Amino acid sequence: MAVPLNTGYATSKLEEPPSRHHPSAPIATQATRSFHRNGHCRRELLNRLTMKRFVYINDDDLSDDLYCDNRISNRKYTLLNFLPKNLWEQFSRFMNQYFLLIACLQLWPLITPVNPASTWGPLIFIFAVSATKEAWDDYNRYLSDKKANEKEVWVVRQGVKKHVKGFNTVNKAIVVYVLVFDRVAVEWEVSMAVQAQDVRVGNIVWLRENDEVPCDLVLIGTSEPQGICYVEGVIECPNPDRDIRRFDANLRLFPPFLDNDVCPLTIKNTILQSCYLRNTEWACGVAVYTGNVYGWLQLLLSIVYSLLLFLGNETKLGMSRGVPEPKLTAVDAMIDKLTGAIFVFQIVVVIVLGIAGNVWKDTEARKQWYVQYPKESPWYELLVIPLRFELLCSIMIPISIKEAFNKLKAYREFMVDDKHLDFVSLDLVKSLYAKFIDWDNEMVDLETGTPSHATNTAISEDLGQVEYILTDKTGTLTENKMIFKRCCISGTFYGNESGDALKDVELLNAVTSGSPDVIRFLTVMAICNTVIPMQSKSGAISYKAQSQDEEALVRAAARLHIVFVRRNANILDIKFNGSAIEYEVLDTLEFTSDRKRMSVVVRDCRSGNIILLSKGADETVLPHASAGQQTRTFSEAVDQYAQLGLRTLCLAWRELEEDEYREWSSMFKEANSTLVDREWRVAEVCQRLEHDLDILGVAAIEDRLQDGVPETIETLRKAGINFWMLTGDKQNTAIQIALSCNFVSPEPKGQLLLINGKTEDEVCRSLERVLLTMRITKSEPKDVAFVVDGWALEIALKHYRKAFTELAILSRTAICCRATPSQKAQLVELLKSCDYRTLAIGDGGNDVRMIQQADIGVGISGREGLQASRAADYSIGSKSEIVVGLDGNLVVVIGDGEMLMAGGDGDFVLSQGDFSKIIFAGPNYGSSVQFNSTSSFSFISGVSGTSLFNSVSLMAYNVFYTSIPVLVSVLDKDLSEATVIQHPQILFYCQAGRLLNPSTFAGWFGRSLFHAVCNGGGHGLVTVAVVDEATVMVDDQREAALFLLIGKIITGNAFQAIVVFVITIHAYAFEKSEMEEVSMVALSGCIWLQASVVAIETNSFTILQHLAIWGNLIAFYAINWIVSALPSSGMYTIMFRLCRQPSYWITMILIVAAGMGPVLALKYFRYTYRSSKINILQQAERMGGPILSLGNIEPQPRSLEKDVSTLSISQPKSRNAVYEPLLSDSPNATRRSAGSATQFDFFQSPSRLSSSYSRNCKDN
Amino acid sequence: MDAVAMYQFTQQSLPACKPVLTPAWVTTTFFLVGALFIPIGLVSLHASHSVVEIVDRYDSECVPDLFKSNKVVYIKDMSIHKNCSRHLKVHKHMKAPIFIYYQLDNYYQNHRRYVKSRSDQQLLHGLQHNDTSSCTPEESSNGLPIVPCGLIAWSLFNDTYSFSRGTHKLRVNRKNIAWKSDRNHKFGKQVYPFNFQNGTLIGGGKLDPNIPLSDQEDLIVWMRTAALPSFRKLYGRIEEDLNVDDVVVVNLLNNYNTYSFGGTKKLVLSTSSWLGGRNNFLGMAYTSVGFSSILVAFVFLLLHVRNPRPYGDTSCISWNRKSISS
Repeated sequence: MAVPLNTGYATSKLEEPPSRHHPSAPIATQATRSFHRNGHCRRELLNRLTMKRFVYINDDDLSDDLYCDNRISNRKYTLLNFLPKNLWEQFSRFMNQYFLLIACLQLWPLITPVNPASTWGPLIFIFAVSATKEAWDDYNRYLSDKKANEKEVWVVRQGVKKHVKGFNTVNKAIVVYVLVFDRVAVEWEVSMAVQAQDVRVGNIVWLRENDEVPCDLVLIGTSEPQGICYVEGVIECPNPDRDIRRFDANLRLFPPFLDNDVCPLTIKNTILQSCYLRNTEWACGVAVYTGNVYGWLQLLLSIVYSLLLFLGNETKLGMSRGVPEPKLTAVDAMIDKLTGAIFVFQIVVVIVLGIAGNVWKDTEARKQWYVQYPKESPWYELLVIPLRFELLCSIMIPISIKEAFNKLKAYREFMVDDKHLDFVSLDLVKSLYAKFIDWDNEMVDLETGTPSHATNTAISEDLGQVEYILTDKTGTLTENKMIFKRCCISGTFYGNESGDALKDVELLNAVTSGSPDVIRFLTVMAICNTVIPMQSKSGAISYKAQSQDEEALVRAAARLHIVFVRRNANILDIKFNGSAIEYEVLDTLEFTSDRKRMSVVVRDCRSGNIILLSKGADETVLPHASAGQQTRTFSEAVDQYAQLGLRTLCLAWRELEEDEYREWSSMFKEANSTLVDREWRVAEVCQRLEHDLDILGVAAIEDRLQDGVPETIETLRKAGINFWMLTGDKQNTAIQIALSCNFVSPEPKGQLLLINGKTEDEVCRSLERVLLTMRITKSEPKDVAFVVDGWALEIALKHYRKAFTELAILSRTAICCRATPSQKAQLVELLKSCDYRTLAIGDGGNDVRMIQQADIGVGISGREGLQASRAADYSIGSKSEIVVGLDGNLVVVIGDGEMLMAGGDGDFVLSQGDFSKIIFAGPNYGSSVQFNSTSSFSFISGVSGTSLFNSVSLMAYNVFYTSIPVLVSVLDKDLSEATVIQHPQILFYCQAGRLLNPSTFAGWFGRSLFHAVCNGGGHGLVTVAVVDEATVMVDDQREAALFLLIGKIITGNAFQAIVVFVITIHAYAFEKSEMEEVSMVALSGCIWLQASVVAIETNSFTILQHLAIWGNLIAFYAINWIVSALPSSGMYTIMFRLCRQPSYWITMILIVAAGMGPVLALKYFRYTYRSSKINILQQAERMGGPILSLGNIEPQPRSLEKDVSTLSISQPKSRNAVYEPLLSDSPNATRRSAGSATQFDFFQSPSRLSSSYSRNCKDN
Repeated sequence: MDAVAMYQFTQQSLPACKPVLTPAWVTTTFFLVGALFIPIGLVSLHASHSVVEIVDRYDSECVPDLFKSNKVVYIKDMSIHKNCSRHLKVHKHMKAPIFIYYQLDNYYQNHRRYVKSRSDQQLLHGLQHNDTSSCTPEESSNGLPIVPCGLIAWSLFNDTYSFSRGTHKLRVNRKNIAWKSDRNHKFGKQVYPFNFQNGTLIGGGKLDPNIPLSDQEDLIVWMRTAALPSFRKLYGRIEEDLNVDDVVVVNLLNNYNTYSFGGTKKLVLSTSSWLGGRNNFLGMAYTSVGFSSILVAFVFLLLHVRNPRPYGDTSCISWNRKSISS
């Protein structure tokens, strides 16, 4: 049996250096082990089936083969499989398959209109860019894995027993001596540092402070005085599962310690992978679950054994993490969907044109003797013309998509935009955006210097599309730093005047005068906890606590002269006014989220009295007050404090009779070692002791909100982003925080609806009532939020998914309390299933699944380790950035470091809007002009499929000329940050993504297809008409163009394409109609128009824009001059000849004027007389006048006295019948309504966390 | 980029100019465009009108009445003499050089099958270049390669013209009608026609096998394919002035078959201006664009005067309105 260690031993020094091979000591254990080894393997399999595993401590021979190693691999590829796998992935996108098909068709010389290089070049380029990006990402993953895998971990290799205590570090050989009994100490020699990946199940791992835990460990010893140490034995534990809150295992010891006693192990005895060891000099643990994430061998094996064996990552976190799916952005998804549709459309066009071409060929071309169509043609002859058109139309897919997105934007903004974006640029742009995030100085955490980082570079544009932000609470919204502020001791309120009880003279006097109530209160504060005091050499005492609440209480007690000095195993030293008092801790009745209280049983060493000290939430402590005591004052105090936004704790105590304790103690021990339902049994036993309490008072603790959180949330909510708070905290706390950080608008605008219930029926009823209310209030400008707890959520998700989904859609705000990690993930999934874009932000391991599930995951690398940020798409540092973010910019996300990303900075937001603009708007302007010209040209070339442009120009045009301006348009800003901060609503209008929800999708899709048809296919349709007459005369062409011109004038691109085309063929008619010249004139026309279009659509010209737009134009001429100088090139001398002709330049100017005039006029007209909201803001901003906005966000006054708002949680008495299901259902609300205070002043200090007591241990 | 600029770039804070479409700016632009374009248009029109052009369609007139109903038989019958003479009246003084073009309509020199059927390498290197697969279906005949190969060369235009004024024969300069770059770099100086038009199917004109391709300017002109189905190609230049009321007699050989596909042939005599031949399009386009610009400018001016809109009035934004009403 293990016993708690005494500090004295642990700190005593090593007396003699241990030898590495100790001949005699291990014999006893070796012998006993062999007993257990028999049939070990067979039993192991069996045990897996029976959901148990036996971990033989420090027994390397056996465990190696049975469990996986600890290698972490997040890599997607290996050197060998990179090419096939990456290609496979790329080709699993429809778009790429299509391109490949086209490229393959190009290889058939009979049908290819242009040199295959014009397709293969860009295709290979696109693929190379994507592959390089993937490879780079994977390489980075490999590096970080490698770093994690090769991190040195000290592992105990030889089990050597020795009578030594303490530990010593000798360079590379570290020796750990862990004490077992007072009688026997065990010495382990840590022979070497191994790499983290080599840790095996059963290894004893030795960690120092700030080390990251490499795998799930059962703690066997720490430097802490109360650290518990176990000797060799076997740990009997369940098979790995994903529940990070439970670990019900037992430790059996080998002889000579075997005394039939079983040590219970719980989750408290474990440290989980990826946590950091803090506040502890060293710790020792046995690896019980190791993890590798995607070992290929394991994957292979798991196919065979998956039913029997647990392979892969077996750590709790690894299992609860789930397999992340690759994230597709809204745009990606849309592109794939659209491509399919357009492909079909294209086939129609191709068939029609193909038939037309074949008909023309048969009726006309056979008469054109100079073409020499053979009389007999091979069977595939009929296919040739359609396939040629397919190739010509292949440009259409990217175009039409862009076109469609363009229309999407036009639909939104009533404005046609002409920016070209093709797929190459798309990837580059995304990466550039990601880079901007990395670079941004305003998103750097000033405290730690951690910059934010975009791990996933592919989803940048979705940041602008976020509709739901799901956020964790503690650590994200709040600082997770508690400060004791007020208290109420037996009816007397302290700290009410000054706002700080520690400065309240009355309280100080009471302490000095030794008022028994006050002393008892402070004693409970000081010792009813699991805090560990650390005394430094200078004598200063610091406290290390798991729970911030406890730490706050202990600190406060110390300030009030009851100083918790030392914890020596069971002995607590308290210093009170210079005299030392000792208490012996007999039992600790731990905190659980169900009990919501914790107690300790101590023996006063002076008097020998046994005392029960309790602290806990009011609703769990006050009902257990002794019969005679009036608790009214206390509940009033709780109310009052809760309204101030403080967390409250009730403190109580009771003296126990020796007999009573003894009897209870044995029951407690028994309950503690049950394997089944342990938690429940323990709780039940605890309950038996915690009654007839003497309530001492109420302590109020403040948990500060992160700076700027309310403002940030306000801003983001105005921007149309919906907030859901998913927390493991209890309902009241969650609601309070929600109120104080603007989740819910103040009364009378805001309203909270509660869904609760323990049974299906109750939940169902409550859900329906809430839904009803929601539907009714939908039309009102009311801010309705619903609150649901984990239990009800479970039921709702399981049985009433439909209703709950409807609710989720209706409600802009939701608070989910007591949510487990998997519930968080489920909620994200729910929202995603409704086609909403979600962003999840969190800082802890319990947020990992949610972060991975969300479209965008933001992880805060804060105090809770790096798990969240590793899993996230974007990781951000800690809180200072938020402050900066808020002060200087629109912010964004929130957090204790923990930001919400909404605007990490203004630009960012802007760039989001902008980005969506580019993505959605980017209408491959160039290509469409080209396509239109090309297809127009097809009439006059007898529908034979000749390309107007030569291969080189075509390729260069696609890859080059059109990409650069787009890349620069990344830098374009519609609005300045300041404007956006003042008008966050504008973001809402930029969220084209909103249009993508199912209800509008159909209409939108129809429209975009229509436009695509008009633009791309128009010519095709006209061709049909023209070909009907089987004459393809220039006159017909003119008519066709005119027809198109009138019909499609709405669509800028078709219009401009026609301008280029018509002007070119007329200006270069007759003796000038030489093919190379005409094509170059048309191409130059396209380039000129493109430059003008980009220029007119650019909102802000920086040097880069100028460089790109005009430099591009110059580059065009430079490149063409060079090519024209090569005699071997097809276009030898062409460019020189053209540039010498006045008519060329006159034509260019005409094209620009004719093409841009209407666009400019239209733009001006819309800009002035049909202004979009962005336009108005742009005007306001650029005219330099003061921007007046009634909707702007003023900094919330921070002084305590001001601004008493009338917000309250709905109270039954002030509601009509419909509102009944409000918080009246909760005991809390009833109690509150009975209370006197109806006025809240939550906003008196927005940075305060308002909350009633939740619990003393943070578990969300 | 220096450090400051790099910083500004990474922080997305490069100094930027943000133009606003103000009424003054836009209206002025349109006025300016109008003011600039109308004169240019008028100048262009003037240039175009200064060009004197005589167009004579001769394809049907040159068919004897006997064959009017069956022109294809006429043109394909090698035994019939294809002589034809046309009288062109000069209605305006024409200054030398006068360009002689032949114009074909409804002729698809841009047909894919046609355009591709040539071998630039062979034109430059002659028989040394063996790969003439691109020339199908006119790559070889009787088992021997054809130089120049391909449909384009094979269908060479072969009507010929000679001009006289009264009894005086006009001198026609048929040199330098092709691009110099083509003569020097695209068509070989040592490449002679070989096995050309020897097949069963005779296309267009024949070539003198003793003249290198670089001097076969008719061929070079013909092989610069036209982008449009209606095109003119240079035949030669008359290097003396023609006076008003002169009658130019054209003796032509009507050899080329446009009858089977309903094409037309025209003879064009034209002078030239700085803008090229007679083409009103640019002038008309410029004037109309100019006038429209001024019109648009007026409309905008009127709109602005009658209905001035405050710029950047954020109170118009709907959410602000909402918050006023609430």
